[in-house]
Amino acid sequence: MKTLKKVKKQITKKGKPTRDVISYRKACKVNGTGLSHYILKSN
Amino acid sequence: MISNSKGSFINTGNGPALLPVDIGHKDYLALVDPVTAFWLLVKRNRLVDVLSDTQLRRAYIRKSDEFKKEMEDLRFTRRPSAVYFNPTERCNLNCSYCYIPENMRRNGHSMSKKELFEALERLKSYFRRTLPIGTLPQIIFHGAEPLLNRETVFAGIDKYGKDFRFGIQTNATFLDDQTVEFLTARNVSIGMSLDGPTSDIDGRTRHNWSGESTYKKTVEAMERLKGYAGWNIISTITSENMRQLVSLVEFFHSHDVPSCMLNIVRSTMPSSKEVKPSDTDAVKYYLSAMDRTYELYKQTGKKLIVANFANIFLAIIAPSARRLMCDISPCGGGRFFFALSANGDLFPCSEFVGLSSFKGGNIFQDDIEGVLVSSPFSIVTGRKVEDIEPCSHCAIRHFCGAPCPAEVYTMHGRMDKTGAFCEFYEEQTRYVFRVIADGRQDAFLWDDWDKGTKNTFTIRQFNKPHHIHV
Repeated sequence: MKTLKKVKKQITKKGKPTRDVISYRKACKVNGTGLSHYILKSN
Repeated sequence: MISNSKGSFINTGNGPALLPVDIGHKDYLALVDPVTAFWLLVKRNRLVDVLSDTQLRRAYIRKSDEFKKEMEDLRFTRRPSAVYFNPTERCNLNCSYCYIPENMRRNGHSMSKKELFEALERLKSYFRRTLPIGTLPQIIFHGAEPLLNRETVFAGIDKYGKDFRFGIQTNATFLDDQTVEFLTARNVSIGMSLDGPTSDIDGRTRHNWSGESTYKKTVEAMERLKGYAGWNIISTITSENMRQLVSLVEFFHSHDVPSCMLNIVRSTMPSSKEVKPSDTDAVKYYLSAMDRTYELYKQTGKKLIVANFANIFLAIIAPSARRLMCDISPCGGGRFFFALSANGDLFPCSEFVGLSSFKGGNIFQDDIEGVLVSSPFSIVTGRKVEDIEPCSHCAIRHFCGAPCPAEVYTMHGRMDKTGAFCEFYEEQTRYVFRVIADGRQDAFLWDDWDKGTKNTFTIRQFNKPHHIHV
């Protein structure tokens, strides 16, 4: 868990969005993560 | 000679389709490709520049086949790795929205130790044949109330502890010191259910057969589990508790609940329809609760992860990293997981356990591979948003998935209809986009959510040379 000081600093730093375009995407190829009603610990 | 479009323009010919979506943000709107789930958040006054930007269009065209394949892989090629395992049909509670029929919960069958071992043995053998080496399949003892068959379940966990990752979803009424000690010592994940921050609210939907609330026992179990990383709470959003969702997340946060799910009720049984809220009301209170989790994080530095909400972020930012499979089509039922009832019958998901026509076979009599391609399973695994109106032309269809097929079938007697909460998912997605536009997404996600992921597309600064990284 981050300290409260770090969280506040991070949140304040974000400020108002300034970028004209925001887009990013990540990919993941892990089998064995998909559930419905339940969350396992590693999730 | 046939003359084809060169794809030189967005939204015409072979050019990429990027549909504008009003996300309710004062500065940004979204452009979304419904097929690949690719998105851009664009400042409203730069929309024309973006749509005519050659570098951006070319960069996306270079990636679009890869993204399309990524979505097809996620939607059509995966194999199950988890089983919702009901060791008994019985339950000591009579919750208003339960999808297991009342007669089963009152008088149903409980597995013997021999039956449970045989079922686990067959599952072990199946997963050895189908999962990559090193991938541990997941067994979630589910219900009804699995701890009504505690000795048998515990014997299974002890015998097959190296073959599966175990979890248990319980109403918490049997989570005494001894039970908690057994489960935590074996690293079993524990999910419990609670619907309200007070006995009165929780007891409106969760109560025993005499109508008495079990809130006190649940809160006692929460105290016992403090400090254990592997526990969580599932709450069902109904007309009975939606007004208290803000208080509920405050209650969870103050009790150090590591993560929770706030699941909208599924109207698969007549009694659950009586507590079904309207989309408009439910989403208003639900999003207020999400606002509150952000405020709590800001004030304390401690996150309360709402897993089903976090999953929508993943659906948008990293589609193939999503953890829960209700909000993708086809849904995870019969694809990522399936459900096993106490008499060995196999269903695509627990939601179908009360719908006998969706039985695909029996674990003691049939090959699991055959069951997975049986007609009842295929109806579920074949249900996709492209065949549903208005989903077929909805920009956010891969962030929603039109859940849930069991509910849709119960409501309409067919599968090609939207779920009961179209607007709920629509508003939830718009909210998530607003959070991303404001750069606040980390507050809603697990700290290590992107472990094992890789960047596949990034725009750092629009209209600058080399601003796009693919």
